[in-house]
Amino acid sequence: MHSDAFSKCHPAVNLVFFLGAIVATVLIVHPAYVLASIAGAALYYMLLSGQKGLKRILVLLPIFVFVTAVNPLFNTYGDRVLFKVFGRPYTLEALLYGASLAGVLVAMLLWFGCYNAVLTEDKFTSLFGNLAPALSLLLVMVLRMIPNLIKKGRQISGSRMSVGKDASNGRTLTEKISGGMLVVGTLMSWALEGGVVTSDSMQARGYGTAKRTSFMIYRFTGSDGVLAAVIAALLAAIIAFCAKGAASAVFTPTLDIAPVRGTNLAGFIVFVIYMLIPSVMHIREAVQWNISRSRI
Amino acid sequence: MEHFKIEDLNFSYPTAKGKLSLENVSLTISKGEYIVLCGRSGSGKTTLLRHLKTVLAPHGKRSGSITFNGVPLEQVSERDQASKIGYVMQNPDDQIVTDKVWHELAFGLESLGTDQKVMRARVAEMACYFGIQDWFHRNVADLSGGQKQLLNLASIMAMQPEVLILDEPTSQLDPIAASDFLNTVRKINIELGTTVIVTEHRLEDIFPYADRAIVMDEGRIIADDTPRNIGKLLYEQKNLMFAAMPTPVRVFYSAGGKGDCPLTVREGRTWLAETFPKAPAVTALPVSEPDEEITDPVLSLKELWFRYEKDSPDILRGVNMEVQKGSLFAIVGGNGAGKSTTLKAICGICRPYRGKIKIFGKPVEKYSTGELFKNCLSMLPQDPKSLFVKKTVREDLEEMSKDKDHVAQIARLCQVTQLLDSHPYDLSGGEQQRAALAKVLLTDPKILLLDEPTKGIDSFFKETFAGILADLKAKGLTVIMVSHDIEFCARYADTVSMFFDGQVLTTDVPRRFFGANSFYTTAANRMSRHVFANAVTADDVAELYRINTGGSN
Repeated sequence: MHSDAFSKCHPAVNLVFFLGAIVATVLIVHPAYVLASIAGAALYYMLLSGQKGLKRILVLLPIFVFVTAVNPLFNTYGDRVLFKVFGRPYTLEALLYGASLAGVLVAMLLWFGCYNAVLTEDKFTSLFGNLAPALSLLLVMVLRMIPNLIKKGRQISGSRMSVGKDASNGRTLTEKISGGMLVVGTLMSWALEGGVVTSDSMQARGYGTAKRTSFMIYRFTGSDGVLAAVIAALLAAIIAFCAKGAASAVFTPTLDIAPVRGTNLAGFIVFVIYMLIPSVMHIREAVQWNISRSRI
Repeated sequence: MEHFKIEDLNFSYPTAKGKLSLENVSLTISKGEYIVLCGRSGSGKTTLLRHLKTVLAPHGKRSGSITFNGVPLEQVSERDQASKIGYVMQNPDDQIVTDKVWHELAFGLESLGTDQKVMRARVAEMACYFGIQDWFHRNVADLSGGQKQLLNLASIMAMQPEVLILDEPTSQLDPIAASDFLNTVRKINIELGTTVIVTEHRLEDIFPYADRAIVMDEGRIIADDTPRNIGKLLYEQKNLMFAAMPTPVRVFYSAGGKGDCPLTVREGRTWLAETFPKAPAVTALPVSEPDEEITDPVLSLKELWFRYEKDSPDILRGVNMEVQKGSLFAIVGGNGAGKSTTLKAICGICRPYRGKIKIFGKPVEKYSTGELFKNCLSMLPQDPKSLFVKKTVREDLEEMSKDKDHVAQIARLCQVTQLLDSHPYDLSGGEQQRAALAKVLLTDPKILLLDEPTKGIDSFFKETFAGILADLKAKGLTVIMVSHDIEFCARYADTVSMFFDGQVLTTDVPRRFFGANSFYTTAANRMSRHVFANAVTADDVAELYRINTGGSN
């Protein structure tokens, strides 16, 4: 991944932003807002993953078309009937509603994609290190155990193979199954034995002798504070505008979508700004880098 | 000032029926000392070390006392013990708790409840001191064995211990990583004055630098002296531990040298140069001419090329090799040179994209897996544990063959008869190795492949193991082994091949092979190459010494 300004912020800020973006996306079905959310997420996703990102975004297109087209089959409300399928009306309103829902789905998937790239597992666990140290440590240990078990499992089946006792080499199905069970059983006793060493190693390093603290590798800096404040203010504004109906959209039985002008326009602009935060930060850093380089 | 004082310590495990694992052990360890604890597997080294830290002390019947800084150890709080007494164990992997390097470094400090600011400084310090900055953010799973063990050490050092106890810390590492690790430990001792107590099989790297060496046997301390005196003592007592001494010491005493015993290769060179101011009459031992034409190859590899993925670099880059029937063929070389991959290719686990592998003249792909691994080819994996799937060694062996006489016979051959009713995990490293070998031999292989068979095994077990291999060879088996242990290869192999960069560079008999190298060679050769032409083992040097000085026997 290229250097990304937003990813370098404190994980708590990242988490709050993504929670805000995803919840707002799911709750608002207003077409303009949905489009804005898709645009914000897609732009950021491409900035994060480049060429590959574009391919993955295009994969979402058929999903969008499918969900849009399928909705009117189940939802027959609406006045403007386009045609009939199996004797049931296929309405324009339901089609538009489907498009909006599909857009929400696509936007959500994109935001989750960004979330995965930015908030890696270790950032997530470190967030809860101070709140619930024991739980966070448990999570970390599980994360370490899974790849370990897979590696050891491969090793055992490799060893079995080299003495001609490969599980897939069994003649009958029962032989194959019991061969596989042997590998799993061995893996378990191996893991248990390793567990004894791990617990010795934890105790030897004073586990349980004092109230655990957590090493915070991510520091909450002043700029994190500023960004958090901006995110909070924008979220508050979005909630306030939504409460006044700026983003209300009803599709069936009759279309009733709040127009985007006047005060409503202000609400929409706030929403767009929010969705563009990570991309703007990314682009700003890239531009600054280019400027400072050109000065050399 | 004394650090640990152990007085009349006796200990027996609950299952041992009164047999003492530690008997009348009395020992004083002063601040800043560097102590090497040696002894055969099962001599009570680990049991003794574990008593030095209450949370690790085994359960059982104990008498006697241990004091730490003048206070009885059991009265020192767990918290103080955790930070002041550091303990590094054998297995690099299982000791690690978390998934990130930075997190592991901080683990001990987190447990002690250290505050953020101190923790930050200590972790940074440790990362710099141990050269961990470059892999600070990495996943633990991506580290090499040597890096993992260094991380374990650093994580303990972050708590600023006064004593560092290391229980065979390098037994799972390759020689280069092992000597790196031990050098770091020595640096800690010299630069920080941390007391170090270490047990090791490979004494070559640490023995000369220790302040004191303590030898244990059957739970008792049989010698406690400076390293130089220990060598003499063991030789005079004809103690089996003498075989574990560094090469210069063994050469000196078995050749009947006069004066001060050399401990390092450098001292050994000086000693030889002073003994032979002029070139000696006989400088070389006879070398058996290798049969130019390999008459009866059981295995031949031609131009093998292999890579793991389409875009990854080639691991094997044109490997050519022929192995004579009934020989012990050793493959040596650095990490990642393609040694283990070659073994995998022979087994059919990796398929080379170019080249031919012939086993008994028949291409390997013509064999079905059933055929290949029955009465033909068998491999002993690097970690013998991965072969055991049952509750006792006997059940494990009987899984391979229903014929009880056959099992009994192989068990005798591998010297595991008295271990048959034990759980495979309860055996020591060397015993596991032999039990695994027995299991592999029950497939009646004609070609035996060994991957690092001497890893983590002490010198007595190595000799036993070599004896078993000689028996197998006498029965017509061909043994191909991949190893980092050049001392073992020099002593027991018939042919040695050097792997480098995915190719076989040279193949020769050990005397010529190691005689021609000047870095990648045995300690005996490095110590004697300015005087003798092709002495590659301690016995070779001692023999030439005796011939030239006209010594008896």
